[in-house]
Amino acid sequence: MTLEIHGLSRRFGGLKAVNDVTTTIADKSIHSIIGPNGAGKTTLFNLITGALAPDEGKVAFNGNDITGWTPERLAHAGIARTFQRTSIFKELPVIENVALAVRSRRGLNRSMFCSMAQEKAIREESREILARVGLNGKENIRAGSLAHGFQRALDIAIGLALEPKIMLMDEPLAGMSRGDRETVATLITRLREELGVAIVVVEHDVGMVMRLSDRITVMQHGKVIAEGPPSVIREDEAVKNAYLHGNFAA
Amino acid sequence: MTSSIAMQSKPSSVEMKQSRTPYLAAFILLAIVGATLPLWVTGNPFLLMLASHAVIAAIVALSLDLLTGNTGLLSFGHAAWYGFGAYLAGLLSKNFSAEMVLIIPLTIVAACLVAAVVGAILVRQIGKTFAILTLALSQIFYALVFVLSDQTGGEDGLQGIPMATLFGNTVASSQAWYWLLYGVLIISLGGALYLRTTPLGRAWLAIRENTERASFIGVNTGALKLIAYVFSAGLASLAGALFVLFNGAVSPDVLHWFESGKILMYVVLGGVGTIVGPVFGAALFTFLEHYVSSYTDAWLIYFGGLFVLIVIVAPGGLFGIGRSIYARFKTGKGQTT
Ligand SMILES: Nc1ncnc2c1ncn2[C@@H]1O[C@H](COP(=O)(O)OP(=O)(O)OP(=O)(O)O)[C@@H](O)[C@H]1O
Ligand SMILES: [Mg+2]
Repeated sequence: MTLEIHGLSRRFGGLKAVNDVTTTIADKSIHSIIGPNGAGKTTLFNLITGALAPDEGKVAFNGNDITGWTPERLAHAGIARTFQRTSIFKELPVIENVALAVRSRRGLNRSMFCSMAQEKAIREESREILARVGLNGKENIRAGSLAHGFQRALDIAIGLALEPKIMLMDEPLAGMSRGDRETVATLITRLREELGVAIVVVEHDVGMVMRLSDRITVMQHGKVIAEGPPSVIREDEAVKNAYLHGNFAA
Repeated sequence: MTSSIAMQSKPSSVEMKQSRTPYLAAFILLAIVGATLPLWVTGNPFLLMLASHAVIAAIVALSLDLLTGNTGLLSFGHAAWYGFGAYLAGLLSKNFSAEMVLIIPLTIVAACLVAAVVGAILVRQIGKTFAILTLALSQIFYALVFVLSDQTGGEDGLQGIPMATLFGNTVASSQAWYWLLYGVLIISLGGALYLRTTPLGRAWLAIRENTERASFIGVNTGALKLIAYVFSAGLASLAGALFVLFNGAVSPDVLHWFESGKILMYVVLGGVGTIVGPVFGAALFTFLEHYVSSYTDAWLIYFGGLFVLIVIVAPGGLFGIGRSIYARFKTGKGQTT
């Protein structure tokens, strides 16, 4: 798997939210994207996952041009995402949230028939995915009544159910207690190790990012201001400046 | 390795017991009362006729719930498809054949085809835009009746529709009609309940819940909405076809926005998305409309008031009220034992 981003740009009125971003996400890597509020991180995610169309530039996945593909097509191609503001099916039971994605992956969305055996297999698989993110025992709870951290975990589980090759997580640790952040961080490393999923993470906790990432892209005002492994980013002048100017919510 | 995310979760997490019991109970009640109705209203042919109209209304309500209840798309012009079915089946029976087995499938197929074309444009819209466009569509159909008045009879309505036949036998008795309509309702209801359990039905609910997330898990939301729209139009046209054959005539009123409003009220009254609820809502509405309007000309005001009350106080409709009473009864019982 490789995801190549070439000269991606997106304007909102006069604002260049994403400005000529070029980077490559390597196979099975944990690649963080950091930068101050409004740097364009979420917009970049939206451009990659088909939520927004770029004004310029190109996204290639395993060498195929996927620019302008719809989110559903990208999901089937193996690109999953989670959302900065948790996006789950609140009124449905936890397990159904995941089962929907499992069925979708199996190409059943338009199916008007599903055997008991098949549905049982789908639920079994959903249960395993839920266990992976620590939601075992909560299968039949209404998703919306889960605590915040569990909802974020469910958001990840839904993405995982697509068996993605790459997963983009927009601030998966936001709003969590220290202990929960550790758990999710561990989960992220495990997903890469056990499932071989490449993970792109947007995160404000720089300490965590340094520890977790193979590679870091730093954005500011829509542009990439630095990129490299944590050791390089730690010493980068432009990044230090961004910190000194107090833009970082570290 | 364990990865339980230790969060300060409230211990009172609400278990979702996806209990089927209230659905089943409501379904059985409906089935028994409905099926035996002609037997205990033998002395009152009018009541049976009213019941037949209620059954037709129930089928239309069900058809709208297929769309709105499943995908969240709100139609203000659902009468378009009801009227389409009524006029097309009426015209077919006058000019082609009175055999239901022929004209009803023809009508449904035609409605589905037209709905697929129109729907392809409509389902791209969301929220208000969709609702307004459905209203516009029904107004176009309404206007068409007048434009084509030498065929449709214009304001006078389409009259002189021959007695319909079923496999060559004339369906004349009001009992036979009632059971026929009722049979169609039960089959449609069973179909709608079944669909809910299929992957398609579940994906529809995902769209209703969170369309954006649905598309990011690979659901082609546009295509699935279109399927719902076409099914919904097809079932509404079936109701319309049955209506015109049963009634022997149809007037442009069936395409009026007021009819669309009534259909929406059936669904809201019964409980959007509950499938069984709108069926009861339509039946109740039809009876109430008849009796209340015979007492007072201001019945619409009362109905408008009732509508507002339901939307505010009991957004789950009759079905929601029934379910919470059932739930309270059940927990109450649990405490005493
Ligand atoms: N749909 C939109 N319409 C107009 N402006 C937008 C839109 N989405 C984002 N923006 C603007 O684009 C800029 C980049 O926003 P974006 O959400 O990508 O930043 P971010 O790096 O994710 O920030 P944060 O850390 O706060 O999540 C911001 O100035 C934002 O206000
Ligand atoms: Mg963001």
